[in-house]
Amino acid sequence: MFKHYFKTAWRNLKANKFYTTLNISGLAVGLATGIMLLLWVENQFSYDKFNMKYKNIYQLNTVIHADKDQAWNMTPGGLAAFGKNIPDVNSSVRIKDRNDQIIARYDRKKMLDGNYVGFVENTFLKIFDYKLIRGDKNNFLPDVSSAALTETLAKKLFGSDDVLGKTFNYFGEIYKVTAVLQDFPKNSSLQYDALFPMQSFINWVAKNYTNGNTRFLDEDFEQIQYKTFFLLNKNANAISAANTLQKEFKKRNNDAPFSFHLQNIATLHLTDTDGNTSRLRMVNVMLAVAFLLLAIAGINYINLSTARSLTRIKEVSVRKIIGANKRQLFFQFITETVIIFIAALFFGCVIISLLSPLYNSITGTELSDSLFQYSFLSKATAALLITLIGTAVYPALLLSSFKPLESLKGNIKGIKANVFRKILVVLQFSVSFILLVSTVVMSKQMHYIRTKDTGYDKSYVMAFPLTNNILPNLKSFEEELQKNMSVINAGVSDAFTLTSVDNGLDNVEWQGKSVNDKTFFNNISADKHFIETIKFQFIDGHNFSGTQADSTSFILNETAVKQMHLRKPYSGQNIKYRGTQGTIIGVLKDFNYKSLTQSIGPMIINNFGIQNIMYVRTTAAHAKDAIAYSEKTYKKYSRNAPFSYSFLDKNFEEQYKTDAQINQLFNVFAGVAIFISCLGLFGLATYTAQVKTKEIGIRKVLGASVGSIVQLISKGFLKLIVIAIIIATPLAYWAMNKWLGNFAYKITIGAFTFVIAAFVVIVIAFGTIGFKALKAARANPVKSLKTE
Amino acid sequence: MIKITNLEKIYRTDLVETVALNKMSFDVRKGEFVAIMGPSGCGKSTLLNILGLLDDCNGGSFLFDGIEVAKFNEQKRADLRKKNIGFVFQSFNLIDELTTYENVELPLIYNNVKAADRKVLVEEALDKMQIMHRRNHYPQQLSGGQQQRVAVARAVVNNPKLILADEPTGNLDSHNGNEVMDMLTTLNGQGTTIIMVTHSEHDAQYAHRIIRMLDGEKVTENILRELDYVHN
Repeated sequence: MFKHYFKTAWRNLKANKFYTTLNISGLAVGLATGIMLLLWVENQFSYDKFNMKYKNIYQLNTVIHADKDQAWNMTPGGLAAFGKNIPDVNSSVRIKDRNDQIIARYDRKKMLDGNYVGFVENTFLKIFDYKLIRGDKNNFLPDVSSAALTETLAKKLFGSDDVLGKTFNYFGEIYKVTAVLQDFPKNSSLQYDALFPMQSFINWVAKNYTNGNTRFLDEDFEQIQYKTFFLLNKNANAISAANTLQKEFKKRNNDAPFSFHLQNIATLHLTDTDGNTSRLRMVNVMLAVAFLLLAIAGINYINLSTARSLTRIKEVSVRKIIGANKRQLFFQFITETVIIFIAALFFGCVIISLLSPLYNSITGTELSDSLFQYSFLSKATAALLITLIGTAVYPALLLSSFKPLESLKGNIKGIKANVFRKILVVLQFSVSFILLVSTVVMSKQMHYIRTKDTGYDKSYVMAFPLTNNILPNLKSFEEELQKNMSVINAGVSDAFTLTSVDNGLDNVEWQGKSVNDKTFFNNISADKHFIETIKFQFIDGHNFSGTQADSTSFILNETAVKQMHLRKPYSGQNIKYRGTQGTIIGVLKDFNYKSLTQSIGPMIINNFGIQNIMYVRTTAAHAKDAIAYSEKTYKKYSRNAPFSYSFLDKNFEEQYKTDAQINQLFNVFAGVAIFISCLGLFGLATYTAQVKTKEIGIRKVLGASVGSIVQLISKGFLKLIVIAIIIATPLAYWAMNKWLGNFAYKITIGAFTFVIAAFVVIVIAFGTIGFKALKAARANPVKSLKTE
Repeated sequence: MIKITNLEKIYRTDLVETVALNKMSFDVRKGEFVAIMGPSGCGKSTLLNILGLLDDCNGGSFLFDGIEVAKFNEQKRADLRKKNIGFVFQSFNLIDELTTYENVELPLIYNNVKAADRKVLVEEALDKMQIMHRRNHYPQQLSGGQQQRVAVARAVVNNPKLILADEPTGNLDSHNGNEVMDMLTTLNGQGTTIIMVTHSEHDAQYAHRIIRMLDGEKVTENILRELDYVHN
């Protein structure tokens, strides 16, 4: 029997090449994009779950209660020590991060920069499951000068991963490799190139900072600078553990407006420290989009099969009359669907392999990494089966349930009444329209962000970190840079990048400050030239002078003076910052020093502390020379340390990479959705033209114009598309407003966006139908009547 | 073999009620060849559909081999039909995607006959209808007469007790028409009961008996020749 099903199905598909091609291509494109999207979603949900104990690993976050609460993924060092007294806590680990670090071979034959470094406690590998290639897990980082390198860094530095016992230089200290780690998995929230023992960090700070700040780790309840992870016991209650930590903290430091909460490690990737789940929502949206794309492709199949069922009535009736029962017919049609799906899946896989470079570049993940993993395969298979069942059952049921006699007599109300098909077309185009509007809104928002006035001039400014060797000669280094023709200005600060200044939050004292005032200030330490280089704009006062007086001078931003309730003139008013009594000398127009998803907070710029990031402004014409000159000067002062730089505008773009990726993904999906929907529409239009061949012929004989016949065929479809647009407009508006809610600075969605999207959808749809309609309208009526 | 008594069929729409069969009664003996004639719309096809268990009736009795089938549900009707009745249509109704051989094989597949047995039965039927040489051709590649021979082969392959033929020569030229009629006669001679609806006086002459209908009723009944013997 199966052989018969297969044979009949195969011949039917072969006999109707046009519809078979249409069906397979729609499904193949739908399946390919659906599967790729599911892969991406799967990847997003897989973060940190390679840790066997991930369900019990929590990161401790600090919430600073100021005017506006701020959540940090770091804590003071002392919190971890409380864990020892909490029965639910199994163990803890503290990590001090350092980005963009230079590591050099002891013989200085090789220096590598841009390394992510972590100072960790020796419980690190007991809590996390990062794999060791060499070394002893139970004796990880045994002493203060031991270090663990990743395989990649070891190979880059020494040319091999067999490097146990080799020595290298980092931040003026010599370390010996005692372990080699497998590279951190891409789906790990923690990413390091090298790990050092925490004690070595403590020693380093004690050596370099002589301002008496020697309270470290267990005794430190002020500086929020350590990542703290707890491994809780099975079935432990994270909320009560956090409460206990909070109580213990209050005993030591009752005044600090801090509270703490535990966040499970598996949620780190998609949920922000402050509980913002916009990324999680976006991933869920993508999941929904994946299913919608599959649904659109499925709808095509349903529509084409049911529309074409009219032409198969005779066959079904004959089969029934000569003895086929409903079940047998049902399985015959299911077999056809299965064949189409298998073909579509095959071509879908071809499309996936062709598109994988594009996928990798858009998502920043490796497609091949997740393609053959069980968890993915099971989900993809489930998705495929759901689509298959959802798609196959209805047409098969419809076809197999014809009453033979009524069908032969042409009494086929059930099929002719194509309300269901119309609903499906409306559904398809609603989804397509929503995706299209989303694409337009996202593109506009991305454009808005790129071109928004951030309060400073970010074009042609490069930044590079300075080594310890340069810092003692900073002034002459800076002057030497400024001398060159290609350099417009050069200044130094401690901000790694201006797109997310993250130097911690500080307290400032001023006259008239209320007791309850909880304003916390972001801060930058900078010199006079930095302010000039970046082209900050003063609304009051002036810049640093470049003299000794700068050590007691402060520059604030507009938001700061507003929140402090200061009165004009601001300049000359006294404030106290980090123990230094000083004067406000200027106020800057607000500038965005964090992501545009956040509003601007108070900022204080001072001139003391280490300033180790050089900013150089050049011009388009001289950028190349400026880079070359900066590198030459840098190497001279740093004794040939590796030079790496980044441009401010590039960093700025980098910050919205995820949003830009999502935008790109939506471009693709909107395109795919419209393509598949139009394939379906094309099929339905072709079918309509076919069944109306006789009507068209008669009308033409009676004198109908080509235009009126095109209208006859297209009108019904265009009406459905307009209905779809009307239904989808409020949905798209709601969804996009929700998305824009993630940004503190955003566009407003105007009616024009919808008009443009509607215009595009209608034009494409009309193009699709019109092509077929025109062909039908131009056909020779004599021929069409004869055919009938 | 068939006995219908006061058979009624009424088609109802919102506005109109059409009586297609009005208390029709007659019987057909085993091995008989009956032709049903009458003008278009007289109810011939409706009658044939009810006799073929494709349609139900609104009243009266229908005994098939002594069993009352008038109140059978669709499933029961389908089962009885599958095992006992073969159909021959004016427009052949072959399935375009299947070859001659496969078209004839189809009823056997649906009756779950084993593949080896099917081969024997199909070849026998094709042989009988002299269409064996076209076994691998598709319907589009056959002439009308050949197509109808395939259709007859398909109707008889299951060895049904009854063949219902609806204008079997309506789409054929006289030569092919005669051939088909000869075949039906031969089948009848071998014991198969045949009921044929036709407009053709010529074709009706092949039957034992002609029943003439008008407006859903039997008006006359002519016996052309007696049954040679009664099949058991």
